[in-house]
Amino acid sequence: MSRAWGRLTLPGKVIFTLVPILIVLTAGLIVTIALLGGLILEILVANVGIVRFVAAVLILLLLAPPSAFIIIYMEMKIIALMNLRLGPDRVGPWGTLLSTVHGLKVLMKEDFTPTGADRIVFTWAPIVVFLSAVMGAMVIPFAPGLIAQDLNIGILYFFAVGGLTVVGLLMAGWASFNKYSLLGGLRSAAQMVSYEIPLTLSVVGLLLLAGTMSLSQIVENQGPWFTDWYVFQQPLGFVIFFIAATAEANRTPFDLTEADSEIVAGFATEYSGMRFGFFFFAEYINVFIVSALIVTLFLGGWQAPFPFPEIALALDPGSLGIGLLIVAAIAPVVGTLLLAAPFYLLRSSTPWWQALIAGFLLFNVVAGGALFALAFIGLDFVSGLVWFLGKTYAFVFLFVWMRGTLPRIRIDQLMGFAWKWLLPASLLNLFVTAAALVVVDALGS
Amino acid sequence: MTTTDTRRPSSDDPRVLLDEQIGVYEAIPPYPPRTEREAEFYTLGDGEMFINMGPQHPSTHGVLRVVLKLEGEKVVDIDPVLGYLHRGVEKLCENADYHQAICYTDPLEYISSLFCEWSPVMAFEKLLDVDVPRRAEYIRVLSGELNRIASHALFMGWFALDLGGLTPILWSFIERDEIVEMLAALTGQRMLFNYFRIGGVNGDLNHEFMSRLGSWMSRATEQIEANLTLLNENELFVRRARGLGTIDSATALRMCMTGPNLRATGLPFDVRRAHPYSVYPELDFDIPTRSEGDVLARYLLRMDEIKQSLRIIDQCLHQMPDGPVMAKLPRLLRPRPGRAYAAIEGPRGQYATYAISDGTDQPFRMRIHDPSFIHLQSVGLLMPGNLVADTMAVMASLDPIMGGVDK
Repeated sequence: MSRAWGRLTLPGKVIFTLVPILIVLTAGLIVTIALLGGLILEILVANVGIVRFVAAVLILLLLAPPSAFIIIYMEMKIIALMNLRLGPDRVGPWGTLLSTVHGLKVLMKEDFTPTGADRIVFTWAPIVVFLSAVMGAMVIPFAPGLIAQDLNIGILYFFAVGGLTVVGLLMAGWASFNKYSLLGGLRSAAQMVSYEIPLTLSVVGLLLLAGTMSLSQIVENQGPWFTDWYVFQQPLGFVIFFIAATAEANRTPFDLTEADSEIVAGFATEYSGMRFGFFFFAEYINVFIVSALIVTLFLGGWQAPFPFPEIALALDPGSLGIGLLIVAAIAPVVGTLLLAAPFYLLRSSTPWWQALIAGFLLFNVVAGGALFALAFIGLDFVSGLVWFLGKTYAFVFLFVWMRGTLPRIRIDQLMGFAWKWLLPASLLNLFVTAAALVVVDALGS
Repeated sequence: MTTTDTRRPSSDDPRVLLDEQIGVYEAIPPYPPRTEREAEFYTLGDGEMFINMGPQHPSTHGVLRVVLKLEGEKVVDIDPVLGYLHRGVEKLCENADYHQAICYTDPLEYISSLFCEWSPVMAFEKLLDVDVPRRAEYIRVLSGELNRIASHALFMGWFALDLGGLTPILWSFIERDEIVEMLAALTGQRMLFNYFRIGGVNGDLNHEFMSRLGSWMSRATEQIEANLTLLNENELFVRRARGLGTIDSATALRMCMTGPNLRATGLPFDVRRAHPYSVYPELDFDIPTRSEGDVLARYLLRMDEIKQSLRIIDQCLHQMPDGPVMAKLPRLLRPRPGRAYAAIEGPRGQYATYAISDGTDQPFRMRIHDPSFIHLQSVGLLMPGNLVADTMAVMASLDPIMGGVDK
């Protein structure tokens, strides 16, 4: 037995250990559910808030890397097109899987700690940065009802959690035992601390208008027409917030923390493997979240730009009864044949099976489109999500566009801009908003 | 029976490694200071630290190593360390015959190889007292000015990249690549052309070169203007570059600067006009100057030079005479004993060769005056006092090529 064990490779050992454990655990789970299922269900129902919270956090954590992949692919492809290059075009259709493959590559790379580094801080820094990025997404309303935790101080929570990123970057810069890292870490600390102030102050005027700090309430205030969006009441605040948010997300022209032509890679110089991957994901998740926050605060969040006329669905699926089943069974066959017919009839050289495949694919597209349209009309959160993601990715595109166009700003210009221009401007914005509110109140009463 | 001494720390003990490597991290040379300057530089003051930029730093344009003494982000002092690309070209040329020597000088400034051929070829022609056919001279000027545009286009891209702009380098590579393809059609090589020969050029203009040149010339001005709008009208770029790394004309002369770096301080010194050679006296072109002497002026001056080069190319195409492109010369060249000096205006400044012949078929001594090396000595004046971010901008604006610096 022991000889056979010794001859196994490492994956073999892992499998031989894990499979029995998994079998025991699964059996235990089945038994537990069978015996105590009702009780567990009661407990879950009683604590539905906690269950919902845990589920939401898990979903956000799981969705963070894929959304980062999408933005990374967007950036690679858009900047390539701006540079008159092709960009990724090998892995997957139009290279869409390249960023996923990058993620897998990062997972498989060697993960080493340099000599002289402070191991504990070095290991925890990427986790702090990643978590603070993901935690910001907790309070963002993606659609009506689709929000992880509707805090009544949502915006305050967001700024508090966003401030944690600085700690992570400083940890990385200090623990790496590298002067380039140290410079990058200190630059990021200086930059983020300076830009948090105009970032926060530019929103205060909006909060005076909204009268609430809950992000979902702020979104609900901005309806139903696009003229109700806060960007039209707070144009200066919007501009300041956009600039400061760019600096918060460390994007060009404020990407001094990782200026590759000056300090190699800044705080991430000594990182490799998945620890570097965490920094990388955190950066792009930050871009997404900052765009989402801009949209939520100033551009109506999940609100459509104008109220759609109410379309009552003439067809009630429930009234069909058994007919619904028959339709569901027959429609794909009939649809596939109908859509395959033109391919078969119009070109005599097309074999029947190719026409069928084409018809099947086309039917899938048509049926998917129809289902999506039904959901868009009938379900609030689908249309809300579509509007929200559309606006957010428009801002992500703007960030990528800026990266493709602008050169980098210098550190003294960066600080001077924050303290000499953005801070007075945001104070002015706050003052004007408050004065206007007082005047309007006085006139109203 | 073997015993291991467990009291001695093993070589993979991190503390031992740290002690050994601390010198490397601190960028301090492993020998005691040899000069007063070294002793002064490698002594840290209060709150200062060394940072080692290069030789593998992404933006040192090759293998320059600069030890920066920093106070926070501010550069207090610098110590450039050269020689990572030294190949002994001058000595190699002494052991090659006159034709072979041109192959060695070719890769010195690999961005603008034609000028590295032009100067030794001119010096050897003076030694041999050869008359170069006029058509060959025109072809030299034509291809040389094309190479100047390619070099300046690449400078624009690099400069923008060092300031953090991603796109300009790829846009400028469109120009450069087209020119390089053109010159490849003419000379047979993309980078190290080896096209100029003693007494003329290697081959006459061919159809592919002419058709590519024609179609490129028709859209060149427009494309270069499009590239320039990306940077020249960018407030962030202009604000960073203006007033940075300023040098006045007297200091520039004292530092032996030539070329665009000198003309950016206001002195209209151009070898093509000051000491005319080839057919430049027959051509009509301006010498752009700027008075500011800062990084922005050096950049804009090069962009102005591109337009003048386009003018020269246009005139060359119109005035190109017929005739042979190579003088009649014996296969083995044995010039009379003597000395010759030939200077030309390269894209980076005055590129000169001083050759001594002792009557054999090999040069007795060849001295190459390279503008990159001369300009690099002024970084000690320009970098201190600026921020780390600006060191690369200052260096990129001087446009050194390390192949020419280390020879």
